[in-house]
Amino acid sequence: MGHKILVVDDDPNVVDYLTTLFEDHGYQTCHAPDAQTGLEMARREKPDLITLDLEMPGEWGPRFYRKMSQDPEIKNTPVIVISGMSGNEYAIGKAVATLTKPFDREQLLKIVRDTLM
Amino acid sequence: MTVTLLIIDSDTSLAEALATYLARQQFAVDIAGCEADAAGLFERHAHKIVLADPIFAGRVKGVALLRRFKADQPLTQLIVFTAEELLAPFMEQLGSDALGFLSKPVNSLALDHMLRQAREWISLKSKLYRYTARLDDLYTAQVSYQQLFDEVPCYISVQDRRFRITAANRLFKKDFGTQVGAFCYEVYKHRSTQCPNCPVADTFKDGKSHQTEEIVTSRSGRQYNVLTWTAPIRDERGNITQVMEMSTNITQIRKLQDHLVSLGLMLGSMSHGVKGMLTALDGGIYQLETGLKRQDPDRIQHAFGQIRQMTDRIRKMVLEILYYAKSRELQYREVDAHRLARTVVATVYPVAERQRVSLKTDIDPALGMCEADANWLQAALVNFLENAVEACIHDQSQSDHEVWFQARPDGPDRICFEVIDNGMGMDRETQEKMFTLFFSSKGSKGTGLGMFIANHVITQHGGSIRVTSSPGQGSRFLILLPRHRPDKLPASELPMHEVPPRNPEPDQLHIDPPAGPLGSPNCAHGDDSP
Repeated sequence: MGHKILVVDDDPNVVDYLTTLFEDHGYQTCHAPDAQTGLEMARREKPDLITLDLEMPGEWGPRFYRKMSQDPEIKNTPVIVISGMSGNEYAIGKAVATLTKPFDREQLLKIVRDTLM
Repeated sequence: MTVTLLIIDSDTSLAEALATYLARQQFAVDIAGCEADAAGLFERHAHKIVLADPIFAGRVKGVALLRRFKADQPLTQLIVFTAEELLAPFMEQLGSDALGFLSKPVNSLALDHMLRQAREWISLKSKLYRYTARLDDLYTAQVSYQQLFDEVPCYISVQDRRFRITAANRLFKKDFGTQVGAFCYEVYKHRSTQCPNCPVADTFKDGKSHQTEEIVTSRSGRQYNVLTWTAPIRDERGNITQVMEMSTNITQIRKLQDHLVSLGLMLGSMSHGVKGMLTALDGGIYQLETGLKRQDPDRIQHAFGQIRQMTDRIRKMVLEILYYAKSRELQYREVDAHRLARTVVATVYPVAERQRVSLKTDIDPALGMCEADANWLQAALVNFLENAVEACIHDQSQSDHEVWFQARPDGPDRICFEVIDNGMGMDRETQEKMFTLFFSSKGSKGTGLGMFIANHVITQHGGSIRVTSSPGQGSRFLILLPRHRPDKLPASELPMHEVPPRNPEPDQLHIDPPAGPLGSPNCAHGDDSP
């Protein structure tokens, strides 16, 4: 059974893109439109990797990451930041990678592969 | 002071004796024994005093000569001395042209007295002449200064210590009224008390020139940005009695600056949205590619829908940016309003259907023609309708949503469009900011341009928009459009800011035309662009 990836992004079109892309490459996916739902889903689904948008309605990505880090059950889940903000590489220092929208598809897949090896 | 004096007498020895006597009294004396000599000498020296016996060789010849002297040199003082019995006729003939008349033989006391008088006259008259000449110069100077004062392309006012205007130039009077004695703050800013940081007050305090930038309101309600300098006006003892204030209208420059600043702001604030769209477009292309590879019609269909949606959004955003970046002139044409309204509905219908919002229309077939830029008017109306659909989507309180679009003639000269929705409605703040540049109630999904441009297009057409709304109750937009293009105002006459209504009815705002050429934000609602 493939790894499971959680996509947290408020833009349904981006969610659609990422989940399709991951599923096409043999991963399972789940997704959440905001930080709060994302946390709940992470706790329930225990994904192997999370892609995280930074700018979302309600709580932003960095807050999601802080809360996630405080939960022992999910705190070690690797996170890839995918956001439209420039200079976002410093937003979440411990992220395994930080990509800027529009991102390179092959680059993202490579990072995912390397992380989940 | 040596005074020149000419003695005219055919009795040469008497003349010489008098000359000796007068030379001792510091006169520079010439003697003429005949008419020709007298004329020649006078022409050369223009003597200040002429002492003359008009009888030459027993004949009266001197009167005409003396008159001529007086006419040539009005300052010259004439003293006639002659035989006592001839005095009366000479007095009659010369009258006030002569200073005085003495009888021969000349009494020295009387002569001295008269010469003293002559000297005094001369000095008085020459002073008077100097003053008159100076007055003339002053008058000329005053006229030219007044002309300068009036023609300077700035607002100039002179104010006393209470900030009452005691003088103003023509441009000031034209834009701010002619009342003398009115308070500066009243005239410039429609205030009832002194403005804070008044440069005039500072100048009264320290006697120096001060500079500020102000926004003033003309009597027609237009707002101008002005750069103001002050200068003290002092009396002869050096006390500051008044202050002159000169204000240059820099509205055009500020407008341009605002435009550039907001353009920069816009590009910055939109980059996030643009990146999202590009990513989504990538997603669509990926699905199309893989869909074709796998021969998966569902995926192709899905990808196609997504790509179309993204290209629509990007197209719309680019058009908005273009519209904003370049304030374009409207291309007026005769437009069939009924057809235009139907096109608007056809554009919005699929959007409403997709979102399960029922779109009801009532378009009067007798809507007639109007003069408009069809492209922009259509875009503006689509914006209002899409905005209404959006307001419905965001309303979670109920599920039955509808948007009602009505178009009908409003009298012979206007067309009325009405857009009503039963969506989320707007609070007062949202209503006020709704047409403001970059105000969006849709977070990163809106550019903050749509309603701003829609409002601008309507006001540019000479139309007006009335908004009625309250939270949870839906909104109503009443758009009134004249059938004929408004008379164009020159760019400089366009106001910088709309003056907010003094006492707007609660929950209702009325935006009147005209707005600046993308000048500045007026009032009020979210924005469009999904």
